[in-house]
Amino acid sequence: MINIIKIAVFCVETPEIEEIILAGDMTPIRLFGNPTMGIDKANEHVPPNHCVWARNILQQAIEGFKDDFQGIITSHGCDCTNREFDIWLECIDLPFLFFLNVPLKRNEIALKFFIDDMKELISQLEEKFNINITSEKIGKAIKKMNHIRDLLREISEYRVKMILKGSEFHALVKGVQQMDKDKALNMLETKLKQLKTNKPHMDKNLKKVLLTGSVIDDTEFIRFLENLGFQIIIDDLCIGTKYFWDNVDETEDPINALAKYHLNKPIYSTKFPSYKRFETLKFLAKKYNVDGVINIAQKFCEPILYSHPYFSKKFKELEIPYLFVEMEYNRESYKQLATRFEAFAEII
Amino acid sequence: MSIVKKSGKMLNATNKLKNEMGRHFLAIEQAYRDGKPTAWATAGTPVEFLYTMDVQPMLPENSATISAALKKSQNFIEIAEDEGYSYDLCSYFKTNVGAVLSQAEMSVGGTRKPTFMLSSDVICDTHVNWFQVQAERFNVPHFTIDVPHVVSNTTNRQREYFKRYIIEQLWELLDFITEVTGHEYNPEKGKEVALNSFEMGKIWQDVFELRKNIPCPVSTRDTFGGLFPLFTMTGLRSPIKLYKRMYKEAKERVDNGIGALEQEDFRLMFEGIPFWYNLKFFSNLERWNAIIVYEPYVYAFTKYTNLNVTKEMVLNKPVETMAELVLSFWYIYDLKTRVEMFKETVKDWKIDGVILHDNLSCRPNACGMYDLKRKLMEEADIPSLVITSDMNDPRKMNETKVLNQIESFIEILRKRKKR
Repeated sequence: MINIIKIAVFCVETPEIEEIILAGDMTPIRLFGNPTMGIDKANEHVPPNHCVWARNILQQAIEGFKDDFQGIITSHGCDCTNREFDIWLECIDLPFLFFLNVPLKRNEIALKFFIDDMKELISQLEEKFNINITSEKIGKAIKKMNHIRDLLREISEYRVKMILKGSEFHALVKGVQQMDKDKALNMLETKLKQLKTNKPHMDKNLKKVLLTGSVIDDTEFIRFLENLGFQIIIDDLCIGTKYFWDNVDETEDPINALAKYHLNKPIYSTKFPSYKRFETLKFLAKKYNVDGVINIAQKFCEPILYSHPYFSKKFKELEIPYLFVEMEYNRESYKQLATRFEAFAEII
Repeated sequence: MSIVKKSGKMLNATNKLKNEMGRHFLAIEQAYRDGKPTAWATAGTPVEFLYTMDVQPMLPENSATISAALKKSQNFIEIAEDEGYSYDLCSYFKTNVGAVLSQAEMSVGGTRKPTFMLSSDVICDTHVNWFQVQAERFNVPHFTIDVPHVVSNTTNRQREYFKRYIIEQLWELLDFITEVTGHEYNPEKGKEVALNSFEMGKIWQDVFELRKNIPCPVSTRDTFGGLFPLFTMTGLRSPIKLYKRMYKEAKERVDNGIGALEQEDFRLMFEGIPFWYNLKFFSNLERWNAIIVYEPYVYAFTKYTNLNVTKEMVLNKPVETMAELVLSFWYIYDLKTRVEMFKETVKDWKIDGVILHDNLSCRPNACGMYDLKRKLMEEADIPSLVITSDMNDPRKMNETKVLNQIESFIEILRKRKKR
């Protein structure tokens, strides 16, 4: 049996790393939090007022992952995740740990730098695992991932048609990021076939909302919102549209194409100018004619906290109902927020 | 133990700092009167280029500390929170938002609308977010410098292209300033400003060198009190004179065996930004004959801490050298380097214990502190104390609790001395 190397991807915003890992004949597996676990061990390293989600993943790493990872790649996100990388280096005993410096800005200079850093990642992977990550192989991986993106984009629309629950879609995107990509392709193709035969069956009174905010990786939270009368028809999340927003150019040099793809995608809250995120949200809210926008900040998530007052003002100008909620990363806390979500459902 | 509050000696030169601050604020007023371009800048940005291109810098962080010292910061912070900014966000940022919204005078920490804003993520993302918020409010252009994040396993090969990336952005910044102000970069003036900046940083470092002596001639009264020009006036001549006076006075103390404290029993290091609203808190240490002899935060802003950077490099290639300096800035060291630097410093400055400020407003600095504490004990046999508070928000400071922690910590140090 071939022992395939598994590389963990701890990133909030650079799924494009997947193509590079795949091109090394390895399997990328994205790390997600587990809101049912305590984080006492992580708290021995990181102060309690730092991002709860990042501490949760550090806890998993210290306890030992279920998967047998040979390495972890993280990318430049917020101050907390960036600074915690050094703590990972102290606590985690894995052969390969790499920090990818995704640039803050989006211009030609930043693109050149990003390409340099991606090449460095490739070179270090090749060196460590004695493999060749050729342009041809990256090109093939791009094709495969583009196919996945196509399917996810198509499936996503069934949320709008009220055929697919937002929570089912969330679980699907999450699953794709954690499984073998050939299996993911089969799963998505089967799902799409099935969806094509379904008719709208969901409650028409559900409030159709756009979901945005921090990393929201607990599908249970989406179910919780559904139980309160919402259907997430669209989002701008990394476990959502940002994973399949567009396709990577298959005609250009593959590394350049991946870097360009990333810098041309809708901007993340951790990058500059993050206010541009509002343009994407406005576009999505109008395109999908949503009843309202829900912006979720995981506790202490600075990038979201900084932009909230601006978004609040702008959505008010557009007369689009907007709800901002800051929450703890554990399921008990969801219940305490029920009243706020219910009140919002009433208003819209 | 009977506690008698003693009064440590402040350098006479430090009292002149008020004149320097006055000079800075007068220059700002003059710039507005003359219609000269002005810029807000965050700490860690190359203020030298602003002076070179005849743009008057203003640093809202320093203005925020003035608000705190005058007990005004809480009010400004609460105004910002009323606008929707979270209790958990940076208190400098919120002080500035509140000060701007209430149109506060410069004398209490207010800042005026600039021609443009200059930020960088070298220290934190907050700087970038902060200026994004305010640039939108004032409708002024905003340039930000992206500094790649150096981690403990960053290789020299990576550092090379990190540096290239910064250099390109610095040239881009100069073009941006020309575009916004019409002022061209003058290499000759660039050299002059760079030389002043270098000289100022080095004198400040010389003052720190004198603090290696027992007794230590300079306390936090002088360092926290005297660092304002390091942020705002790097590249100017006048603060150099002030620092030279500080050095001369401190040297005289050393030569005569005089310390800032009458009796010096414990030598401490303080990591992090101090509590600007309660600087007198540090005089509490004197109850136990304890003195802070090194503050990495203050030392970091001497800028020229990279020993590979020479005066010739600063003079001949100011832009390229600035990129090198930005990448090797003390305040943002990766954990591995931070631990090594702390170990060296503890040894060289003969430090008995370290106080680490887990600053609720500065997550990048607080991150790694717990590991730093462990490593210092395991690898250098130096005890540390982590205290939790905030640099500008007095609501987050429990003075009694912190004092009790420090008292217990001093007892530990006392017992260790008796060993």
